[in-house]
Amino acid sequence: MSQDPPNQNPPNQDPPETDRVERLLDDTLRRLPLRRAPRSLEARVLGELDRRSSQAWWRRSFAHWPQAARAGFVAAGGALAGLVLLGGSWLAVAVRTLDVAGPASAWVRRVASVTGTAGNLAASLADAIPRTWLELGLVAAVVLYACLFGLGAAAYRMLYLQPQTGR
Amino acid sequence: MRAYQDMVFSTAARLTGNDAPAEDIAQETFLRAYENFAHLRTSPAAGGWLKTVTTNLALNHLTRYRKRWRFFSELKIDDAEEDPAGLAYDSEVPDTLLEHLGSEQRRALIDDALRRLPEHQRVPLVLYHFEDFSYQEIAERLHASLAKVKTDIRRARAALLPMMMSAGISP
Repeated sequence: MSQDPPNQNPPNQDPPETDRVERLLDDTLRRLPLRRAPRSLEARVLGELDRRSSQAWWRRSFAHWPQAARAGFVAAGGALAGLVLLGGSWLAVAVRTLDVAGPASAWVRRVASVTGTAGNLAASLADAIPRTWLELGLVAAVVLYACLFGLGAAAYRMLYLQPQTGR
Repeated sequence: MRAYQDMVFSTAARLTGNDAPAEDIAQETFLRAYENFAHLRTSPAAGGWLKTVTTNLALNHLTRYRKRWRFFSELKIDDAEEDPAGLAYDSEVPDTLLEHLGSEQRRALIDDALRRLPEHQRVPLVLYHFEDFSYQEIAERLHASLAKVKTDIRRARAALLPMMMSAGISP
């Protein structure tokens, strides 16, 4: 990683002055000693290593599973996906043939009737309410949502961000 | 680990401007180093590897944090237009800075000043002056334009200099 030549100088500033500031700061910052790491760091790292090594393999991340377990998991996942697809298509065929299946068929018809009625009711309401009202309601909801979001952002900036960082 | 922990922690703390995430980042760096222990144990580039991992983790942390709070804290988009007032150095530039202080005092003072810089100025400044990144590398790493990076670094210097000078000038 290499350093670039000195910058183009900002307006209202003598070029040598800006370069001098860069060199001065660069020199000062590079000679700065390192910060001392907290004493707790080493203990934290060793504790975490201990914790991880005492975990069962199946509780670690997938990348750390044994090779055979990973292969088995992928195979089992593929098989499960296949079963779900097959099961889904089987279920669809079964529902279509429920007409001859007695009590279960009545239950399915009842559910279909309830959902159909609810849909019709919603459609009737939408027809009955003037379109302008619906649009105005929608606009009001968006404006109220934006106001609430703006208030939240302003409260965060005033109450949390400034006292903490001064930004 | 003892040989590198100060370097790793310093890098993370100066980039994040906050000790708590810096300690988390240092911990994660050493955990990754442990996973690559066989390779790193004999490698002369172990220090560089640790520094690179620390820098990447710190920048990832800042990106995640920024994304989370961008809407709330950075509603005003900071463009790359130069503001002469923000770039000019108000007083005469001294020959040396803080030479009358001990190195530990100087470090504490400068680290405190760095923490007070806004993130978009502190991060490129630290990458340039402490981590030896070029302007182009910083721009690529931060997904910012070259002009913005240069402007932010100049603004950071312009903000840092008076903070350091107010602590004493040794002519």
